[in-house]
This record gives sequence, structure tokens and C-alpha cells, in this order.
Amino acid sequence: MSVPPSHLFVVAALLFSIGAAGFFLRRNVIVVLMCIELMLNAANLSFLAASRMHTLAHGGQPDLQGPIFALFVIVIAAVEAAVGLALVIALYRNKQTVSLDEVAELKD
Amino acid sequence: MANLIFYVMALVAVVAALGVVSARNPMMSILALLTSFFALATIYLLAGFQTLAAVQILVYAGAILVLFLFVIMLLNLADVKPLARIDLVLFHERKAIWTMLVAGSLLGIGAFVALQAVPVVAASAPALPDQGIDGLQALADAMFSRYLLPFEAVSVLLLATAVAVLVLAKRKRGGAR
Repeated sequence: MSVPPSHLFVVAALLFSIGAAGFFLRRNVIVVLMCIELMLNAANLSFLAASRMHTLAHGGQPDLQGPIFALFVIVIAAVEAAVGLALVIALYRNKQTVSLDEVAELKD
Repeated sequence: MANLIFYVMALVAVVAALGVVSARNPMMSILALLTSFFALATIYLLAGFQTLAAVQILVYAGAILVLFLFVIMLLNLADVKPLARIDLVLFHERKAIWTMLVAGSLLGIGAFVALQAVPVVAASAPALPDQGIDGLQALADAMFSRYLLPFEAVSVLLLATAVAVLVLAKRKRGGAR
């Protein structure tokens, strides 16, 4: 593949902004969590794009910082999904809803 | 040919991401997210990251999305119609315009930086190593030498998460049922 690294970064920016828009627009907690996953994936893609860019710039000497960071981000994403979904279950058990509009007690 | 596959997969990933945001049924969001993850795994593979592509499918599609699916089925949310209606109404609010503005400027900054500041090195691209950029052995060597401390920190984080999830999702003692 001879795609310039910048195109990978553009795809990452697209995915991140779609995820951010969904994060603010949607009211279903589960979909909001999915949008966070989408943003974390965009971050991963840009880590890997940077790693590929450095590898190519140094004549094929593998740059491992990108993949290692991406692995850590995947672990964090798994942790975040587990805690978030446990919160969703607790919320549903107490209020029988998953809509963020109905859990705004701290706001008013 | 590989370039063509990359652009097709990038398009699939972005369209699927739009599907995640706009689907009324959370189940459809999950399926769109799955599509997006698979397209991203293909992109990783094309970019020379075999191990990360495998991890992406194993962990994201195999574990995290199943967790989401499990919760949706557990809470029986797939056919909650009023919620879907509220969700859709919000797209017409004034907040939606601001959100689009913020997301659009994020995209603009990202694309500008990517297209202006990233040096063009691919034109005379040297070959990538045969085993890809993240060969499993090189990755493991780095993980267990230079990045050992973060690795241990992450294992503590996972333990703390297991305890936290248990505490959060457990019923209160003597509570309802």
C-alpha cells in the first residue's frame, strides 16, 4: 500500500469528529458509550498512522511506540466499556431508563 | 490495488460510523460499529500492522461489542420506541447546530494538520519489513522490557475494574429480590 500517511490521519479525523458529534447529540447512554469507542478507535488509527510514517521515514526500521500505545488504548477502551455498561445496568435497575435526559438531577 | 482497498475500507468505516450515530435502534448501532471495526482492522492490515489487526478483531469485535450486545439484550432495549423518538427530535434542536459546528471544526483542524504538516514520505516508500511493523516478537520484547511499568500499571487497572464492576452491578444486600 502506498497511500500517503496524511490520508490515514484524515480518516482518523473523520471518525473522531463523527464520534464527537454522536457523543453530544445522542441521548441513549449505550449509544453514547459506542461513540466513545469510535473516538478511541480514531485515536488508535492515528497512533498507527504515525508509527507507519516514522517507519517509512527511517527506511523500514520498525517504530514500535505506535502499536504499543494502541494496545494500551485498546485495554483502556475495554475497561471503560466494562465500567460504563455496569453503570448503565445500575441506572436501569434504579430508574428503568437509559435516557440521559431523565438522569439530570445534578443539573437542576 | 491495495490503495483501492484502503480507500474503499476507509469509506466503509466512515459510513458505518455515521450509521452508529444516526441509527434509531441501538442494535443497528452495534452492527454498524462492528462493520466500522472490521473496516479499521483491514486498514491496519494494509498499513502493515498484522498483530494490531488481529487484536482489533479479537478484543473489539470479540469482547467489547459482545459486552454491548449482551447489555442491550439484557435490558431488552431493542424495541424501546419512545426513546428512539426523543433521540430523533434532538437532531432538530439548536444544540445540534453547535455540535455540528464543533465536530466540523475538529474535523477541519485534523484534516488541515494532516494535509499540511505531515511530511510526504510515501512517494519514495521503502519496503516495510516482511513481518510488518508490529511483529509479535518485537512487540513482546518492547512490551516486557521498555514498557514493563505501564504494562504492570494496566494489570492493576484491570484488577481495579473487575472489583469496581462487581460492586456497581451487584444488587444491594436485602434489596429487591
